[in-house]
Amino acid sequence: MKMRRRRRAADVITYALLTLILGFFLFPIVWLLLTSLKPARDAFAIPPVWVFRPILDNFRNVFAMVPVAAYLKNSLTIALGTTALSLVLGVPAGYGLARTMSRAAGNSALLMLAIRMAPPVALLIPFYLVMRDMRLLGTYLAVILLQSVFNTTFVTWMMRGYFHSLPADLELAALTDGCTRFGAFWRVALPLAVPGVATAAIFTFTFSWNDFLLPMLLSGRTTRTLTLGILETMSTYEIGWNNMAAIGMITVLPVLLLGYILQPYYVRGLTLGAVRE
Amino acid sequence: MGEYTGATADRSAVAAARPVEKWLKRLGLLPWAAPALLFMLCFAFYPLGYSLYISFFNYSLTDPTQAQKFTGLANYLKAFADPAFRIAALNSVLFVTLAVGIQTVLGLAIAVLLNRDRPGAPLVRTLLLAPLTLTPIVVALVWRALYNADYGVFSYYLKELGVHIGRGPIGEPSTALLALVIVDVWQWTPLVALMLLAGLRSQSADLFEAAQIDGASGWQQFWCVALPLLRPILIVALLIRTMDVFKLFDSVFVVTGGGPGYATEVMNHYIFKTGLTFFDMGYAAAMSNLLLVLIGLFTAAYFRAIGQLGVTQ
Repeated sequence: MKMRRRRRAADVITYALLTLILGFFLFPIVWLLLTSLKPARDAFAIPPVWVFRPILDNFRNVFAMVPVAAYLKNSLTIALGTTALSLVLGVPAGYGLARTMSRAAGNSALLMLAIRMAPPVALLIPFYLVMRDMRLLGTYLAVILLQSVFNTTFVTWMMRGYFHSLPADLELAALTDGCTRFGAFWRVALPLAVPGVATAAIFTFTFSWNDFLLPMLLSGRTTRTLTLGILETMSTYEIGWNNMAAIGMITVLPVLLLGYILQPYYVRGLTLGAVRE
Repeated sequence: MGEYTGATADRSAVAAARPVEKWLKRLGLLPWAAPALLFMLCFAFYPLGYSLYISFFNYSLTDPTQAQKFTGLANYLKAFADPAFRIAALNSVLFVTLAVGIQTVLGLAIAVLLNRDRPGAPLVRTLLLAPLTLTPIVVALVWRALYNADYGVFSYYLKELGVHIGRGPIGEPSTALLALVIVDVWQWTPLVALMLLAGLRSQSADLFEAAQIDGASGWQQFWCVALPLLRPILIVALLIRTMDVFKLFDSVFVVTGGGPGYATEVMNHYIFKTGLTFFDMGYAAAMSNLLLVLIGLFTAAYFRAIGQLGVTQ
């Protein structure tokens, strides 16, 4: 009897704590969603207004204030370009490093990991000068190149782990049947690794989409991304939170959906390159 | 060794005849990584080398003559003498300690709460992923709005609870850093929690049954069985977060801009400001090299810790 009562008390405490935790972690997201649908007057009301008639005015305002479509196109171009380049470089690299047991392979893998750990600012300062000298500042290419530096290391590590988990026997069979190494990779290993490649691609896309620092310095007026566009809704004179929330929702929604699709892989992906050794 | 003698003789014969071929064989599939490595060489290691080079020069982009005057170690000495840099370095370390500390404790608590199969636990797990996927710049702006002294929802409810913070959480030097730490805690504690939860889930129930039979209480089971087993993942989580918090930029740039005063100035942001707002490239390069050394020290410690634990996955 006493045991059961104690267990019930424990359950009540657990649920109370979980509610509190969820409240903390969901509150800013709920605020963002609600504010994007609030009339401007309610967005600044104190005490905060929680019940109101949702409107889409803010989204309309934002499209009038900021060239959202152009920024969307820029964000997409840069994210897709970065994803393509990182995969083209990283997938074969991951394959090579997974199927080689030499010390050189281990060292190159560690070298790539070291770059992933470096803070972007440290690379950004000299990279900015190099891009300026090559007259590439303000182009898509400048942003894509530097984002690919960080993401290629990610793809390499992820694919190294993935290829590692695939048995090499099938490739060996293909090789003895007279396939070239590339043939074995292209016809045997790669098709088996499609789920891994897809995951790496979606992660790279998300990282690039969410990036702010690199496009801020390397992109130009015509190549500006959505993450930069958000700041344009907040001039020094006027903080338009309702408008900011609307463009924020536009920015967040695609990656939130991708994150939902990636659910089972998400934590592993974010910790990749550290847990795998 | 015995069975290898023939092979060794064979191999040395090959080596004598065709050293290049042997070398290639040893490298095996490494050429597959060559394009990626070449790319890194051009766009990561060359810029890093260039950064080392210009750190020895007085090189300002605002200087109309664009003169690059060799000054030796002057930029590095300047960093050590610069009060702002010292504050930024201290803040970075303080930030890492606070943020990683809170994330670890809170993450562990959440993992333990979610570990038992209660109705609703899977839903909570899914919802906890949302902060992880959210665009950091949007997160920063949302918190800037919530913290606003006049209209901020967060500030308002704090006041309702009787906590009065003069110019708001990000307006007061005494609370600004903690306010930024909370933003980081908000976005990344779920990662730590979900990592640790995966670790707890992988622990076999037998051990706990054995402990229970030996008369261990729930608390003892956690403290003496679960936690020691969790240590490898705990250390990995700790170190991943340490690396990432050293990269902190977006929230400082958007929420406080390093202020008020230098209260939230961290190395990344100060380097960015020096290099790309004031265009003092030599000095910025020198400071970013110092930051790399600092992170290198942490990385080395990290690999040692991992190596000692023999973490493999």
